[in-house]
Amino acid sequence: MLSQAMFPWILLTAGFLFTLGALGVLIRRNPLVVFMCIELMLNAVNLALVGYSSFLSSEEGQVFAFMVIVVAAAEVVVGLGLLTRVFSIGRELDVDDLDEMKR
Amino acid sequence: MSTSTAALLAGLVLLFPLAGSALCGLLGPVLGRRFVNLAGTLSIGAAFAVTLVIFVLVLGAASGHQSVTATLWNWLNLGGGNLNVSVDVTIDQLSVLMLLVITGVGLLIHVYSVGYMEHDDGVARFFSYMNFFIFSMALLVLAANLVILIIGWAAVALSSYLLIGFWYERESAVLAARKAFITQVIGDVALVIAAFLIFVNLKNAASVCTPTPSTTCSIQLALSQNLHTLSLPQIFANAISLGRGSPLITLICILLAVAAFAKSAQFPLHTWLPDAMEGPTPVSALIHAATMVTAGVYLIARFHALFDLAPIASGMVACVGMGTALMAGFIALSQVDIKRVIAYSTMSQIGLMIFAVGIGAYAAGMYQFLLHAFFKALLFLAAGNVIHAVHDEQDIREMGGLDSRMRITAWSFLVGSLALAGFLFAGMFSKEDLLGFGLINGPGSPALYIVGIAVNVLTGLYAFRLYGRVFRGEPQSDAARNAHEARAVMLWPVVILAGLSAVAGWALQWPVSFGPHLINAFLNPVFTSAGSGPIAKEPGTGLGLIGFFIGLICSLIGIGLALRIWVRRDLNPAPALARPGLRLLPRLSFRKLYFDELYDALLVRPTRALARGLRRVGDPVMDSWIKGLSDVATDFSAAFRSAQTGLIRDYASYMVLFVLIFTIAVMVAAGIAK
Repeated sequence: MLSQAMFPWILLTAGFLFTLGALGVLIRRNPLVVFMCIELMLNAVNLALVGYSSFLSSEEGQVFAFMVIVVAAAEVVVGLGLLTRVFSIGRELDVDDLDEMKR
Repeated sequence: MSTSTAALLAGLVLLFPLAGSALCGLLGPVLGRRFVNLAGTLSIGAAFAVTLVIFVLVLGAASGHQSVTATLWNWLNLGGGNLNVSVDVTIDQLSVLMLLVITGVGLLIHVYSVGYMEHDDGVARFFSYMNFFIFSMALLVLAANLVILIIGWAAVALSSYLLIGFWYERESAVLAARKAFITQVIGDVALVIAAFLIFVNLKNAASVCTPTPSTTCSIQLALSQNLHTLSLPQIFANAISLGRGSPLITLICILLAVAAFAKSAQFPLHTWLPDAMEGPTPVSALIHAATMVTAGVYLIARFHALFDLAPIASGMVACVGMGTALMAGFIALSQVDIKRVIAYSTMSQIGLMIFAVGIGAYAAGMYQFLLHAFFKALLFLAAGNVIHAVHDEQDIREMGGLDSRMRITAWSFLVGSLALAGFLFAGMFSKEDLLGFGLINGPGSPALYIVGIAVNVLTGLYAFRLYGRVFRGEPQSDAARNAHEARAVMLWPVVILAGLSAVAGWALQWPVSFGPHLINAFLNPVFTSAGSGPIAKEPGTGLGLIGFFIGLICSLIGIGLALRIWVRRDLNPAPALARPGLRLLPRLSFRKLYFDELYDALLVRPTRALARGLRRVGDPVMDSWIKGLSDVATDFSAAFRSAQTGLIRDYASYMVLFVLIFTIAVMVAAGIAK
């Protein structure tokens, strides 16, 4: 069991990772990197969930972390599928370049 | 050995290859080939050294104290003690024997790989995968917890997938890797279901089951609480609570057996192994001959406490093993790819091991595993030298006459073939030993033994057909005429393995000649200590001797026939095979009994047809109403469209901005309320 004193550090780490991921999503232009940053954000949330679960001695947070993992996996499946399609029709992989949806 | 020592040593065995994998994978591309060669082999060398220490400690331990289970750390602890997963390791005779082969033969093959992968640019990736394989295989054999076992089980399949598809520019390699992985997943699912069934149904047998005048054991068991444990020692100790021969334990054991069949390439899940030869040859030697494919044998031997209670499942295992041994030996007779012939011989030999563990002769099965690891790794590495020498040609019709050009490789290959065929060297001891058990154990006891004798003849035939076609006669191509011997780094592992194949059987048998061998004495405490059911009866010395000589004579018949047909060429089987009744046989053998075609027709084509049909029906239907929906949305949203820039980064910025505003608002509101 983690000591209670570590809990703020876990939250700080999670917050740091989340900010890092969010910045990556905002700044990077390669969709693959954007995906990885989204994964980073999801994992930061997982860390916070597990941290809270340990802090509150309740297993719910850990169970919910599994849900997040499943959602993340599903998201990657859909996203990578989209990316391979975009790539196979000969488009450059750049989030700023893919703006047809506005038309 | 104390638990803390055990935890430390087992942790080191796991840590070295994992660290090697990380180093090679992360730093290898930067630091270059020499660093990768060093890190990749030294990590396995270190693991081997630690394994030797463990081996000495186990040998020196007092009888009854050789098996130690230690907890490395507690991984998951959920729901008030209902689901506890701790990373437990067991060090006992069985896991030490496996570890010795995994790290020892693994080390030789890693050294060989330094030479084999010399001109390949992906060497860092290669050693990273190979080290990861050693780690996962060690995890699998050390695991003392079902979850950890399943992780190791799946991780070896992953590394096998990565290494079969190592040359990912080749379509055939990618397809082979996918086929192997899908087959493995069938086994994984069976294993997980078996684990669920054990977890849900196991009851506490030890504390309750002392018959009192009023209640019998079975009533007490029925009343006792479910145990809900994943720890293997606890499962084995309480296996009796699942009921001797009950439908439940039979189902569990059949599921375990299916997992074992998928991993060990047994009928009907065998078709991936020959295709797996698309990987580099060291991979075939390490994963698809010496270690991973024998994990199925290990699984059944490890779960012997359950299989002893399920005679129906064990009988099925024995029949499938012997059937596969016969089938694979038959197919090996006519294949023309040097690696595929050896792959089918692997399948056949593992069939014999599966047969042995099916009839309860667990130690005999593990003995065959040990010796097979030596001579099969030897055959693959020697084949790798041959393939290198004839410029990546694998068709044995393009070889021939290599014995004068590659003297050391040829002699080593001959030792390996003799060991495989069961004459003079390794195979003679282990195969005759396990067939001897088949004489008096197993379903319909002598029947399967007679099949085993036929397998012996077949083994001699295909082993020496391969030797004759590759090394004797006239060279069949320019590449074969200009072949020359491999470099020292690729010869030494072959020579050492040849030495081991030649000596190991004699050394382990020597003090007691035809009686029980040393492996038997070493391993038997594992298979009796859990103490649930009867272990296979030993054949007596007289019967053992008779069985030994029958087996030996059959091997010699096979070898002699092969030498006459393919080396001296004074016997031509073609006229005999042209007779009406036998005409189909060569064709069946060459087309691998049409299993690939059968699975294609039964599984692949219907699935494709279904997908095509659904698409034909579904596309218009789905498109029409989705189109309608989108039209409505387009009309409705015309007004809002200008806010859409189409840039994902803009949207993400809005989201972050509003979440920030919302969070600050909530915090301010909370502050006011306070």
